[in-house]
Amino acid sequence: MASFTKKPGELLWFSLLGLGMLVGAGTALMVLTKGHAHMYNVSREVPWGILISTYVFFVVSSTGLCLVSSLGHVFGIEQFELIGRRAILLSIITLLTGFGTIAMEINHPIRMAIYVLLTPNLSSPIWWMGTLYGVYLLLLIGEFFFLMKNHHKGAMAMGILGFIAAVTAHSNLGGVFGLLEARPYWYGPFLPLYFILSALVSGGALISIIVYYNYQFRKIPLPARYPHFLTTLAKLQALFLMILIFFIIWKIIPGLYGKPPGKYEATMAILTGPMAFNFWFFEVLIGMIAPVLILFTKRFINPFGVMVAGALCTVGIFFMRYDLVVAGQIVPMREGTDDVVNGLVSYAPSMAEYGIVLGAMATCMFLYTLAEKVFDLEMKEH
Amino acid sequence: MNEKRYAIVLDTRRCIDCKACTVACKAENHVPLGRENHRNWITEEEVRGQYPHLGQSFTPSQCMHCANAPCKKVCPTSATGRSPEGIVTVDEKRCIGCKYCMTACPYDARYYNEEIEAVDKCTFCQHRILAGRVPACVETCPTKVRVFGDINDPTSAISKLLAKYPHRVIKEGLGTKPHLFYLI
Repeated sequence: MASFTKKPGELLWFSLLGLGMLVGAGTALMVLTKGHAHMYNVSREVPWGILISTYVFFVVSSTGLCLVSSLGHVFGIEQFELIGRRAILLSIITLLTGFGTIAMEINHPIRMAIYVLLTPNLSSPIWWMGTLYGVYLLLLIGEFFFLMKNHHKGAMAMGILGFIAAVTAHSNLGGVFGLLEARPYWYGPFLPLYFILSALVSGGALISIIVYYNYQFRKIPLPARYPHFLTTLAKLQALFLMILIFFIIWKIIPGLYGKPPGKYEATMAILTGPMAFNFWFFEVLIGMIAPVLILFTKRFINPFGVMVAGALCTVGIFFMRYDLVVAGQIVPMREGTDDVVNGLVSYAPSMAEYGIVLGAMATCMFLYTLAEKVFDLEMKEH
Repeated sequence: MNEKRYAIVLDTRRCIDCKACTVACKAENHVPLGRENHRNWITEEEVRGQYPHLGQSFTPSQCMHCANAPCKKVCPTSATGRSPEGIVTVDEKRCIGCKYCMTACPYDARYYNEEIEAVDKCTFCQHRILAGRVPACVETCPTKVRVFGDINDPTSAISKLLAKYPHRVIKEGLGTKPHLFYLI
């Protein structure tokens, strides 16, 4: 406590996060006692809401952090070895927060733990999702252990396995949506590919935030090797974003061309319908155009500029997940569905759903800040 | 001898949109009240023609008991299964409420039943079939839209109807092999 009072900024930070966690815990308790139906706005037509999209956001972040950090200790790009410990630790934390969020969406997480083992269905992408992310979590923990021990061979071996697990688990998550033939907006091989690509953007963005946070925000001078790393990260991030824009454009064109039933209506919901503001303002402007402009402007390539670009990307990606999950469901599966407006069913998160999301965000940041205090996450040069 | 394969044939021209099938189903299967809670439904098509020459069709529907059921494929705990007679079932105890089956079903045939704490859907009134009766929606229909039976028995009423009249299934292109047949 004494150390906190010396640092009022830190006290405020932990208080805010504590408040967020309290809101989350309180909401979770209400959901558990009152039941999902009374607290959530998900419905028969839109059974997956913001908790699923937030889960996707967290696990995408985890994958991205793992993939970007593997550039260092797996692919041998030396500059990236700097952020190994931080990236893998945050990767573990985002994964766990993601699990927590989806546990609040699933009605019976305990039944799940029992029956995925007793009566597994190997043709279910969700069964594989649980299994692959489970293996991935263990590998991340192993990788973190070896990184902390400065055991390079161990870290590299775990890193390679972790990289494979990350790509497998995360592309399978794309498959959870992409294998549903009933949902034309999701169906097809696009989502597994897009999830991996957007994970790279997510990972790069979060790394720029934590590097900045740890030095500038805590008023510790940035070690000399970091500005050089951030310059490289900025270039890479710009490349990832350009590829992401290419992916988004090619997600839209097949949705419009020939007006394919189901896909067209969902694409129009994104472009001009109820999700248009989310798409144009948050995804396109905040999440892609603004960061690209920053990253292509030479005088902004400094720790602050790269961090701002990263923060904007992260906000954009959060909305990207939400829009993807919801747009896939708002086109009704049959004619005559009740409460249809302009051919679409509606969904807006409830206060309880926002509460859980807030709690999850606060928990994630709390755990990471705490871990910074507990572990020595600075990589030793070798 | 062939195994049984249950199905329903519907003659939608007979449907008067009285919704007795929905009411009977709710009562028979303890389906909770509420907009989203129903195992079967009637779709009211657009009114055709100009006054006074008007027409309207109604299409009753429910779980299609698909032979290639997407809901069964995606269920992580195998809670969704299929009986030897082709009835797609949900084992309440194993349902984790992930609602993946609800996103996978192209017919919107499933809902989450808060009372039994599991995803619920039409079972062709399996409990009645075991007792030698037909599903409640079939029995109650005043105009006899639905005919229930075993399509593997060539002498059954349903097989005869399918032999005699052309018929269609809904969203055939998805390859789900539904077992609700609509007479054309």
